[in-house]
Amino acid sequence: MPTYILGISALYHDSAAVLLRDGEVVAAVQEERFSRLKHDPALPVRAARWCLARAGITIADVAWLVFYEKPLRKFDRILSTSVATFPKSWAAFPRHMRAWLGDKLWLRGNLCEAFGVRPDRVLFCEHHLSHAASAFFPSPHRDAAILCVDGVGEWATTSLWRGRDTAIEPVAEVRFPHSLGLYYSAITAHLGFAVNEGEFKVMGMAAYGQPRFRAEMDRLLKLDDGGFSLDLDYFAWHWHPSQAASPKLEQLLGPPRYPGTPFTPRATPEGAGEAEIAASQRYADLAATAQQQIEEAMLHLARHAKAKVGTEALCVAGGVALNSVANHRVAAEGPFANLWIQPAAGDAGGALGAALWAWHSVLGNPRGPALERADLGRDTPLDRTRELLDDLGARYEDVGDDAPERAGDDLAAGKVIGWMDGRCEWGPRALGHRSILADPRRPETRDAVNVRVKYREPFRPFAPSVVAEHADEYFDIPAASREPARFMLSTGPVRESARATLGATTHVDGTARVQVVDAGTSPRYHRVISRFGAETGVPVVLNTSFNLKGEPVVSSPVDAMASFVRSGLDLLYIDNFRVERPR
Amino acid sequence: MGVLRRMWLTVASEVSWRLPGRPQRLLAAFALAERGSMLDMLAAVEATDRRELRKKYFLHALDEGRHALVFAERVRALGQLGRAEAAIEDSGKLVEAGIVGGRTLFERLGEPEFLTFVYVAEADAVEQFRVYLDRGLPDTRTQDELRGILKEETFHVSYSRAEVDRYRKEGLPVDWWATRLRLRRLWEGWLRFSRDFGAVMSAFWLGVLYLLVMAPFRLLARLEPGGWQTPAGRPGGDPLVAARMEG
Ligand SMILES: [Fe+2]
Ligand SMILES: [Fe+2]
Ligand SMILES: [Fe+2]
Repeated sequence: MPTYILGISALYHDSAAVLLRDGEVVAAVQEERFSRLKHDPALPVRAARWCLARAGITIADVAWLVFYEKPLRKFDRILSTSVATFPKSWAAFPRHMRAWLGDKLWLRGNLCEAFGVRPDRVLFCEHHLSHAASAFFPSPHRDAAILCVDGVGEWATTSLWRGRDTAIEPVAEVRFPHSLGLYYSAITAHLGFAVNEGEFKVMGMAAYGQPRFRAEMDRLLKLDDGGFSLDLDYFAWHWHPSQAASPKLEQLLGPPRYPGTPFTPRATPEGAGEAEIAASQRYADLAATAQQQIEEAMLHLARHAKAKVGTEALCVAGGVALNSVANHRVAAEGPFANLWIQPAAGDAGGALGAALWAWHSVLGNPRGPALERADLGRDTPLDRTRELLDDLGARYEDVGDDAPERAGDDLAAGKVIGWMDGRCEWGPRALGHRSILADPRRPETRDAVNVRVKYREPFRPFAPSVVAEHADEYFDIPAASREPARFMLSTGPVRESARATLGATTHVDGTARVQVVDAGTSPRYHRVISRFGAETGVPVVLNTSFNLKGEPVVSSPVDAMASFVRSGLDLLYIDNFRVERPR
Repeated sequence: MGVLRRMWLTVASEVSWRLPGRPQRLLAAFALAERGSMLDMLAAVEATDRRELRKKYFLHALDEGRHALVFAERVRALGQLGRAEAAIEDSGKLVEAGIVGGRTLFERLGEPEFLTFVYVAEADAVEQFRVYLDRGLPDTRTQDELRGILKEETFHVSYSRAEVDRYRKEGLPVDWWATRLRLRRLWEGWLRFSRDFGAVMSAFWLGVLYLLVMAPFRLLARLEPGGWQTPAGRPGGDPLVAARMEG
């Protein structure tokens, strides 16, 4: 009987379940893909149920359930911080205590009840150790520095580790309230976006601005001695129940951007008045400054990691590791020859890390092969999908194994298609299993996808997917970025010669968040792009996640059909079925 | 139920629609409720064994999704962009409002009772929207939208009523379910009230605790400094024992 371990991350944001069979990932999926609530933080009961079903087992077969945090340490941090910020924390204290005394403090019992496990089968891994394990154990490296940078877990907000084979040793940590993740989130909120959601928008906005607020913002975040610290007077996350910034931040940076205000910087004024243009440009410049600070901070931390640990490889995890522009700079300018980042680098990935930590570090089992693919989530048998399409009266054709070539033809004919193939991706990025695909060449495609399908802010770029064989012709990918580019985790320059060609996927600053697609690990997606390349001479497609505004990425055929019908997509592929729009 | 309810709706709508800022809030709440029903209906498409109903559930879900957008658009037009965006994008709001969370309605109730629920909820919504239209609330643009929405809600009522009638003929206690669902709604309203009341009370006592008990410790506690720190030592011994610990 193999050993099954169920990893769980939950109760902050992006909860997830991961099932290991003798250390190998059988299934890994976020709860939001079942509940349809974006960033769902609830205990991932449905995700876990699906993982067990995929493995053909029941919870009774699971040896260990591993939670990705040590709840009492987190409680300790919250209590200590409330006391240390007395009396400013008067409003936050009752709120935190009610949440904890009412629910979170009884986590072991809640886990047992929700998942049906025995109390002595439940293990707890530290938050940052879960991140570290999620970055190191799935990597191909046997000796590596590990850098975790996020908002906050228990106490650590940034941590440095050394991973050697099955052991992960702590080296140093930066503690709450000093946090790069929370800093970026505070700026995200100042720029009028939702925290934990709008960080990608800030990154997109930054490309329209110049970092001309360094004098002001360097007062907020200081790099020192290999680490960093914040001037806490400007922030409120350590004492306010809901706000990240203190009134002082507004005095320093000016009024915050009102959510939903049109963004009309100088590069794309869209007929706005001078006052609006100036205001938008200011926000773009603030975004650019914060982004530059985060990039430099990550480089600074990476250099420190090199000095302290000295390995060839660096593994990175935590929410900040999803900042693909910073990742590129660490790869291109940093001291490490290899960079490895796991596709679910944020808190969802903690479920994977916690489970792998139990398998290797607690139970002492040897390492296995590296994780090379992200399609670890939900899939649907073909006959179930056929039944659904019949029931809904959909106009469809079973094209069998020709689906990738047919899709490539459709793309070459200028169609915007929904491409749902096999298992759902693990992590926030769509990597050719739940993607919207289009011709990357014309800027009009970008507008078409935005206006007809995604309804998202025009300043957010769309990503290109390129077949590995031709990646270097179009993109300047540093050697250390090869692995992150597999999971679309690094944003780098598009070659000068290719910028005009790839009009719809090249950002205003000449960069792109490219996904390099390998025939071995993504065979069907590779075929789609190859076919498009054969017809057009450009083996690159525009790839954006298959979801509508405010919704998680689609996972089931029902989700796909509902999004298809509600959007302006021309065609939908679900595995071998090519679905046309209803008449 | 009917007359009392209509009276209540009339009074409540007169009061709530006319307070400044209230229309936006109510419309945002409608957008959330519609979004929630879309999710409920899609879950039903996923879970149903009655294949002949799937398409109805699906179309119903699409209607609700569209209604959510219409209401959010009204919120935006009435000047509250942030609220409008949150109603469409923030799923935390759906959970906060108790609209979704945990098991789906379909899982909890099973198909016959789920359909009864749909019927009751849709019929009530139609009644509510009619009262608004009769009273000329809240503004002409929103009324135009409401009229459009009402047409689709009528389809939701009619197909679910047909199913409920069918179940009744089969001898299922649909009328008891309908009453129970309405009672449960009152009960949940009470629970919410007492929960909110309890929250206020516990906040008060926790506040007292904070002032009296925590204050003296203020002298001992300080925030962590910035920069790299040495991590706390890990316990030695059996790693499994340490792994079991919550702290
Ligand atoms: Fe984290
Ligand atoms: Fe509706
Ligand atoms: Fe309805």
